[in-house]
Amino acid sequence: MSRRGRAWRSVFTLYLPVAPFVFFALFPLYFMVVTSLKTNAELYDPTTVPFLIKRGVTFGHYQLLSNDTLFWSWFINSLLVSVGATVISVILGILAAYPLARLKFFGGDSFGVAIFITYLVPPSLLFLPLTTVVNRLGLSDSLWSLIVTYPTFLVPFCTWLLMGYFRTVPREIEECAMLDGCNRVQTLVRILLPVAVPGVICAALFAFTLSWNEFLYALVFVSPAELKTMTVGVFSELIRGDIYYWGGLMAGACIGSFPIVIAYVFFLDYYVSGLTAGAVK
Amino acid sequence: MARSSVPTRRDARRVSRRQFLGTAAGGAAGLSGILAAGRAPAFAQARELTFLSIASFVPDTDKELKRQFEEWGAKNKVKVRLDIIAHLQLVTKKASEVQARSGHDLTALGPGLGDADLYFDHLVDLNDVAADVAPKNGGWMNPNDYLIRGKWKLLPWWMPPFPMAVRTDLLEQIGEKNPDTWEDWLRVGKKGKAIGHPFGTALGHSGDANVTLLSILWSYGGSYVAKDGRTITINSKETRVAMEFVKRLYTEAMDPEVLAWDDASNHRCLNAGKCIGIHNPISAYESAKKDKILVPGTQKEIAEVIDHINTPKGPVDRKATTGFWCVGIWNFSKNVDLAKDFLRYHFQPDNQAKWVDAGHGFNMPFLNNLTKHPVYKSDKQYRFIPEVAKVTVAPSWPGPTTAASQQVWDLYIIPDMFAQYATGKMTLDQAIAWGEKEMQEIYAGRKRKN
Repeated sequence: MSRRGRAWRSVFTLYLPVAPFVFFALFPLYFMVVTSLKTNAELYDPTTVPFLIKRGVTFGHYQLLSNDTLFWSWFINSLLVSVGATVISVILGILAAYPLARLKFFGGDSFGVAIFITYLVPPSLLFLPLTTVVNRLGLSDSLWSLIVTYPTFLVPFCTWLLMGYFRTVPREIEECAMLDGCNRVQTLVRILLPVAVPGVICAALFAFTLSWNEFLYALVFVSPAELKTMTVGVFSELIRGDIYYWGGLMAGACIGSFPIVIAYVFFLDYYVSGLTAGAVK
Repeated sequence: MARSSVPTRRDARRVSRRQFLGTAAGGAAGLSGILAAGRAPAFAQARELTFLSIASFVPDTDKELKRQFEEWGAKNKVKVRLDIIAHLQLVTKKASEVQARSGHDLTALGPGLGDADLYFDHLVDLNDVAADVAPKNGGWMNPNDYLIRGKWKLLPWWMPPFPMAVRTDLLEQIGEKNPDTWEDWLRVGKKGKAIGHPFGTALGHSGDANVTLLSILWSYGGSYVAKDGRTITINSKETRVAMEFVKRLYTEAMDPEVLAWDDASNHRCLNAGKCIGIHNPISAYESAKKDKILVPGTQKEIAEVIDHINTPKGPVDRKATTGFWCVGIWNFSKNVDLAKDFLRYHFQPDNQAKWVDAGHGFNMPFLNNLTKHPVYKSDKQYRFIPEVAKVTVAPSWPGPTTAASQQVWDLYIIPDMFAQYATGKMTLDQAIAWGEKEMQEIYAGRKRKN
């Protein structure tokens, strides 16, 4: 087949079938960007096309976020909490997943199922008892309250995902390492983890995304304005009764999407292989 | 190579398994101790008063509240912290603070007075503060309405009265003037809808739907609970007349989209130039003015052709309700006296006047003298707000506010009942029977709990 023929074939067999999915995935992002750049007067005008900007671009909503709210403090808070909770959860997840995937001990399977069930308990049920715990530890109104509580839903998820991934790694390479004198911890650190990097990155990405988007605990455990995370801060400041600052809300959503987009762009291959390897085993 | 027996710096940094286990066990024991003791470790404590409030619909109100709070704190050498959240988040926040019996000292409560009954055992009695505040401000508007189980468990703080916001240019276009009754609004809405500008009021799950439909129910002589707070009175001929009216209003004067409206939707409908009129506080007008929104297809600002007139009257009465925002003190606060002192300060006539001024008349206190505040004469748009406030009653009227009445509000029983008949999903009798059953179950359930 000629080069031109192959190009046409790609159009019909690859690009056209993928196009609806790309449109579906990118449309919310596009709509967010467009809305965040429109003037309020245009946003309210029903005669304009909502998907286009006709009366000029404005950065007023971004200025509102930057100048009239503590948006950048919230952004940094979100980053600190998400990174902290992710690191803790991934480490704990690795330590929990390894024995559950590799060692045979009484109740091992039940532990695995119990961890999965824990993941299914919704935060809307957990936040009330957790409030008591956070207060008793003296952590309320601090970012530590979130770094400590987010692992309650992140660790079960990371453990479950990593258990699946660890089982895809041939047991024989660990046995070889042990024959060469490695103990269990050394086998885990020197042999298994380097092989399981895609799985670990996948778990970290998911944990980061879940922390970044979390709303309920961030609302309940932290009250001072300067310590709020982005999800709660934007909602608190830009929804005032029956007045919604649509442009500002969308500007906040756009900026808030960037770290997630960047993380996924850099680690997409790891993410896909991590997820699929765990899924088929 | 044999390993040297001389300890190196690296060895010194190493933690033995025993040391690690010892430290970990110590940490775990400390943590368990804290959890078992039920209180956080004591650190150096300064006097600090904290206040959880909701983001005001007019941001300057929050700034003035903060200024007063800080001013009071400086005078009394108390560190103060005002935390502001969106009003939709308040329910979750209140529940978590009560559960943990820890959190802010002062808290916003509402919408509605029902929090006083729901959290009766967790709120400080404010009889003394209410008695101090009243004489300086010409008295409370309807003091008996604010007593819950005979006590002041909260102070009613502010309400946004619900006038009618109307497009004067469209009224002129259809040859109408100053609609004053609900029947007038049906006629105006029909004519408006015919030219593409329907009337708009929410019929879904929103606070605005509760407000407007209760206003209509009362204006037609109906009510859902009797003065005794026990007898459900929704099954009446007055309710039937009111529901027939709303069905006509929905089918002849409104668009079906009102079934899915939230609290922001009518505001959008007016400012987008679609609705001829909405039943809403002045917030829609304020944001139209601030954002310089234009009448579609023209260069005229829409705020210039919006007017606010009295809440409509029905064949029997002129009544309305609204979100009653209140303030209370948790009884687990360690600063009850300081909190009361700040409330007395905030409710001083001068401070109330400044606070109302900052809110451009949006926040109407429940104090008689404040209904005569100059701000209501500062703009033609605000002239009916004191009038509306005078006919505004608690949502459970004529019954007392209870946890059950709050539940009827929170579960949107009234909007659902009206909407089921208006949309033809149920007959009139079926819809009323459904509403009556729901209310009876709520009231009976709450009675069992109490």
